[in-house]
Amino acid sequence: MIAESRTLAYLVSLVRRLRERFLQSVLSVQDYVLLSWRGLGAIVTPPRYTREIVAQMDSLGVGSLSIVILTGMFTGMVLTLQSAASLDAFGARPYVGRLVCVSMVRELGPVLTALMVTGRVGSGMAAELGSMVVTQQIDALRVLGSDPVRKLVAPRLLAGITMVPILTVISDTLGIFGGSLIGIFNLKLSWEFFWRSVGNALTINDLVMGLAKPVVFGFILSSVGCHMGLRTTGGTQGVGLSTTRSVVVASVLILSSDFFMTKVLLLLFPVT
Amino acid sequence: MPLPQRTDERDQREEPERFFDSPSAEALARDVDEPVVWFGDVHLAYDRPILKGVSFTLRPGTTKIVLGGSGSGKTTILRLILGLLKPDAGTIIVDGTSVAPLSEEELRDVRLKIGMVFQEGALFDSLTVGENVGYRLIEDGQLGEEEIEERVREMLGFVGLATHYDKMPSDLSGGQKRRVAFARALVARPQIMLYDEPTTGLDPITATTITDLICKVRDLDGVSSILVTHQLRDAYNVARTFMLKKDDEYVTSVVEDMSTLEGTEFMMLREGAVVFEGSPHDLQTSTDPYIREFLS
Repeated sequence: MIAESRTLAYLVSLVRRLRERFLQSVLSVQDYVLLSWRGLGAIVTPPRYTREIVAQMDSLGVGSLSIVILTGMFTGMVLTLQSAASLDAFGARPYVGRLVCVSMVRELGPVLTALMVTGRVGSGMAAELGSMVVTQQIDALRVLGSDPVRKLVAPRLLAGITMVPILTVISDTLGIFGGSLIGIFNLKLSWEFFWRSVGNALTINDLVMGLAKPVVFGFILSSVGCHMGLRTTGGTQGVGLSTTRSVVVASVLILSSDFFMTKVLLLLFPVT
Repeated sequence: MPLPQRTDERDQREEPERFFDSPSAEALARDVDEPVVWFGDVHLAYDRPILKGVSFTLRPGTTKIVLGGSGSGKTTILRLILGLLKPDAGTIIVDGTSVAPLSEEELRDVRLKIGMVFQEGALFDSLTVGENVGYRLIEDGQLGEEEIEERVREMLGFVGLATHYDKMPSDLSGGQKRRVAFARALVARPQIMLYDEPTTGLDPITATTITDLICKVRDLDGVSSILVTHQLRDAYNVARTFMLKKDDEYVTSVVEDMSTLEGTEFMMLREGAVVFEGSPHDLQTSTDPYIREFLS
């Protein structure tokens, strides 16, 4: 009898906890959607904080250049090496340039750039806004007559949406360039042949896909960073948690949205 | 305490006689000489109750010192006045405007009348001391750069930090940060000042410089204020120190006999409820066991 009532009590508490967790998640998603909506609204309506926007673009764009260049370059190089090894089995080595450029532009450039920027900038946004929350600076902003969404979130969203595509183009270019270096020095292909095959392979559909994705990824990484930062509770420990969560959530969202976007974009812009 | 019924939020500043429309409320208005802050049976709860039916009145030019232990809901009162939180029930009126139903945009006008000194200062890390102090004026955009700088330097001079204009908040000590926060709160010449534990974590001498500033603002500018603290010594200092300006010099006088003090009221909170409200003398002579324990 006692054992039965204990089991029942345990089950009740388990259901309560699950319900609590579910409600928290729903609330968090609701907050996220609202913040994103208000953030996008603040981008398109005045007043805008030009100084903040430029500072965020500089921090996100110029500040991430070195890691994006390195990531793109090495990805292109390793992709060329790996592809060549597989293509050799069919005697198709000359197609390596075609394969590398299409993979970089359609998939690896956007995804890897977004993941690197998430690690570097998305986490920084969560940490910065999180510490502003715990030190009451967000409250101070509101008291002094500023809207934190307009002042902090909108510039970060705009920087993400505009800078990630630019960084992706740089990463793509450097990736293909790295691939060409491997093609010439390692695979004994000619420079001219490699770049001609790149030129022939790329179509307008590839470019559309390669540029549409980073816009969405940029939005995801900055909106998740801001959302996690502004929801911080529990002092400095909370800031650490928000930072970690922002990277995990944004990375998962980027990878999963990549799948769905690819599916849709392939329907809209089929491979020719 | 009867609730004052408001007729029209927007017009009441121009037409104060329309502010109260019931006879009992009018009587209250005469009694309290139009309160600058009025709390009527305010309730707030999250996972647990934070405020349980708090009512009080802050009269113009007076200081209300809110005492209480950690988690008693002291800071919540200030956040409610500023509209940073919304009450679950009850009415909060700040200078004739009910703040609870207002949107963030509408709250701007109310917040302009209030200066808030946060617990640790809450200075913006990325801005210099001068930019921090001038923030509100820069945001308003009504004054030119030179005028703003002049006003900011004047405020920094008032808090004794005139030479720190270009420094970053990270270069300041704890006491200096609070003084800059003080200057930032004062720069738009507010009618109401709110202090959230302004002396917590400071040594006694630095704490005295802060309490002196609170007295200066109260006595020289006639600003109404609410001071939230659990530092009894600083609370008493504020209650019995008076400031005068004579030939560009500030003269301090300290009243030893607490029974003659006017203009300062104490309020004590315990677990979200007001357990005491009265003069410094009433507080000192209270026989309530909780208050005795708090005072000892």
